[in-house]
Amino acid sequence: MDKKPLTYAQLLETNNIMQVLGDETYFLCVTRTVQESKLFPVSSYMLLSYLNAFYRYPTLLRKIEAKMPAEKIADRVRNMNSKIQAIGTGWCMIGFYLLGREMLINMGMIRPTDAADDVIYVLDFWKRYQLGWHRNDGHITSKEAGHRAQILPERRIQVFHADLHPCVDGDALHTAAVKFTAAVSQYAFLVACESRISMSNHGPYNLGDGRELLVRDFFDLGEGDLPWLDGVASDIPHSRLTVTTAVKDTHFYLVDDWGSFDSRPEYKSENLCGVGLYTSDELSETHIPVGMGSREELTETFERYGKIMRDTTAKLWQRIAGYTRDQMLDAGSLTYYAVIKDFAHVAGVYEHDEWMKIDERANRFRGLFNDEYSNEVLGAMLVPLTLPSAQCHEYTMMHHANTARRVYTPLSYSLLNGDDYVGSVGDGIKPGMTFLPPKVDRYRTTQGVMTLAEFNQRAANFTPQLCADKFRFLDDTWVKYHYKTPLANELYCLEQQYSRKLKGKGAGLLRDDIVALTDKI
Amino acid sequence: MAKLFVDMDKYSEGEGPPIVAAFHSALKDLVRKKVDESGGNWREFVFGKAETMITAADIAAVERKVLDSGYRYQCSASISLTERPDAYKPLAGAGSTPANFSFEHADAIVVAADATDREQRGQGDNVVKHPVNVTGIARYYHSANDVMRSLTEGVPPDTIAVIEDSGGTLTAPILEQFKAVICAGGTVRSHLGILTREYGLPCLMNAKVSGIYEGDLVELEVTGHAKTTEAYQQGKEMSVRIWKHIKPN
Repeated sequence: MDKKPLTYAQLLETNNIMQVLGDETYFLCVTRTVQESKLFPVSSYMLLSYLNAFYRYPTLLRKIEAKMPAEKIADRVRNMNSKIQAIGTGWCMIGFYLLGREMLINMGMIRPTDAADDVIYVLDFWKRYQLGWHRNDGHITSKEAGHRAQILPERRIQVFHADLHPCVDGDALHTAAVKFTAAVSQYAFLVACESRISMSNHGPYNLGDGRELLVRDFFDLGEGDLPWLDGVASDIPHSRLTVTTAVKDTHFYLVDDWGSFDSRPEYKSENLCGVGLYTSDELSETHIPVGMGSREELTETFERYGKIMRDTTAKLWQRIAGYTRDQMLDAGSLTYYAVIKDFAHVAGVYEHDEWMKIDERANRFRGLFNDEYSNEVLGAMLVPLTLPSAQCHEYTMMHHANTARRVYTPLSYSLLNGDDYVGSVGDGIKPGMTFLPPKVDRYRTTQGVMTLAEFNQRAANFTPQLCADKFRFLDDTWVKYHYKTPLANELYCLEQQYSRKLKGKGAGLLRDDIVALTDKI
Repeated sequence: MAKLFVDMDKYSEGEGPPIVAAFHSALKDLVRKKVDESGGNWREFVFGKAETMITAADIAAVERKVLDSGYRYQCSASISLTERPDAYKPLAGAGSTPANFSFEHADAIVVAADATDREQRGQGDNVVKHPVNVTGIARYYHSANDVMRSLTEGVPPDTIAVIEDSGGTLTAPILEQFKAVICAGGTVRSHLGILTREYGLPCLMNAKVSGIYEGDLVELEVTGHAKTTEAYQQGKEMSVRIWKHIKPN
């Protein structure tokens, strides 16, 4: 196949993405967290995952796009709960890939120009996906939106808003919701091997009267892709859960590309004033309410699910505490590397060995990743940026730090002068390995528990009506000028089909109309 | 010897931290050697011959060489030390916590007892402001073994857990049973900080303490301000106090 020559525009755009991501990487690392664990060898598994991403993402993304383009996947994902949002795609996807590249540059294993075709492709896929995911707020990242993620269209926000069950500090629903959120967050950290990538938040959405809606998504909770959940998570009733939370007197001024939030004043559970619970996935029409029939039913559901989460946490913790270091390393690195695996689920092309194995090219480095080297090199790559590849000319003043540093190495424009490079790590997936037990062929979905083959087949053959060609491009701008048309009514009624308050109400409602319909205490 | 592309670097100030420098220098030597052995054609080497010529054993030997020099690695996860006791330095406080063990931070602020017999023994970053201070019994949780013990026997009442690990998984199955947490690492945005906020548990992160022993009665000034993102970004001090209640002579 003839290879198209690189263009100046491609390089400019690729380098822009890298630089902006690098600036935000530094900001997130300085302000948000120090990640460590006495249980998991966290830094070690991160490094292994970065290399796995570098060697495998280009091939896997090309395979996915052969079925469905990135921007179309984004349209599907806005319609459901999926891991491919902030944090998974907002930062991790290209952060992991580029950190793998950076590691290899600093080890002398590759030149900064090697794999240039892959780098350009992976970042272009990411750009198209992100623009699609952020279509409604018109940005490419939450950072660009001023640390805000207003992902949903009006029709979905209205359903979430109308169906909220009100609660006040100390009542049974409030207590149950707060305890459940703590329990599911705790469980999600353990499922994700001490990382925050099994949960995310988007919003805020303005509910009026000093209230904001924060949408809290949890994923990979039940038996499915992650082998360490086989058996222990069999009681988890839904693999993906969305908790809608209305919060009063609190402004979420930061909802970032790691899916975490910050508020003024600080978030306190006593300000939680409304909640809802949903599930959804590649096989659901849209978000399906869970236990939402009444306040009492939702209270009981939160209590019951909270207990299941706590019990499963204890069982999973004991399983993981009995793992060898190599097994912990695999579980952590596969959690990280496979953070974008839901692309393959949406396209119906998910293969276990492609997403849950360590590529032999990456696995060569396993013996290097003792705790100390891993901690030190990870720190050096992020803050304070002391590896050679991060060091720039002395006049440089890096964003947020004013130092002569950068996080990711750009592609030199000298490539356009014919500088030598090898474009790709190569087509095709190389064999992989893992120390984890074999995967049980059991995948919990909104349509029941099924085998992977069935899951893939159903995903490949299913298009939610809201994502069909008839409706796909009918955005809020179109609704603004067509809300009285039968087509707009049909669009909204599809979204409202499971709604307790809005079923059949159509496209004409404004926020005050929704407020009037909501339950009051 | 082959010359690598990155061998010419105008702005490099070195290979980074010492252990990284040792590993990366050795890896670069390995690459140079293998490039030579492959015939010197980088295009054929980088994503081709290198994949078979640079083996897992070659790379593991880089790590082993440092160990053979007498160096011992700093451990983070207990499992690393358990599986390779010859490769890691012992972990402070690992195993059961002796009565005379305390985290000792050089920056801990220690102030003599006040009128209510409270002796300040350190400070930490408050995760959430609470209406009243919290008082309880200090108990150390260093490892999975400590957690397993409490999982079987239950967490003693009024436990204020003293933990080095700012992660959210070590204490996952018992966290909810603590009265409060003193964490000697992380920030209020670390996973443990996030979880204690969700549970409504008083928690101080990034704590610097001295002379707090197993069984001490301690009080955390969680009525103080929660540390903000801006304070971290600007390096602004915003800690609250940790006291030990002492018995009057």
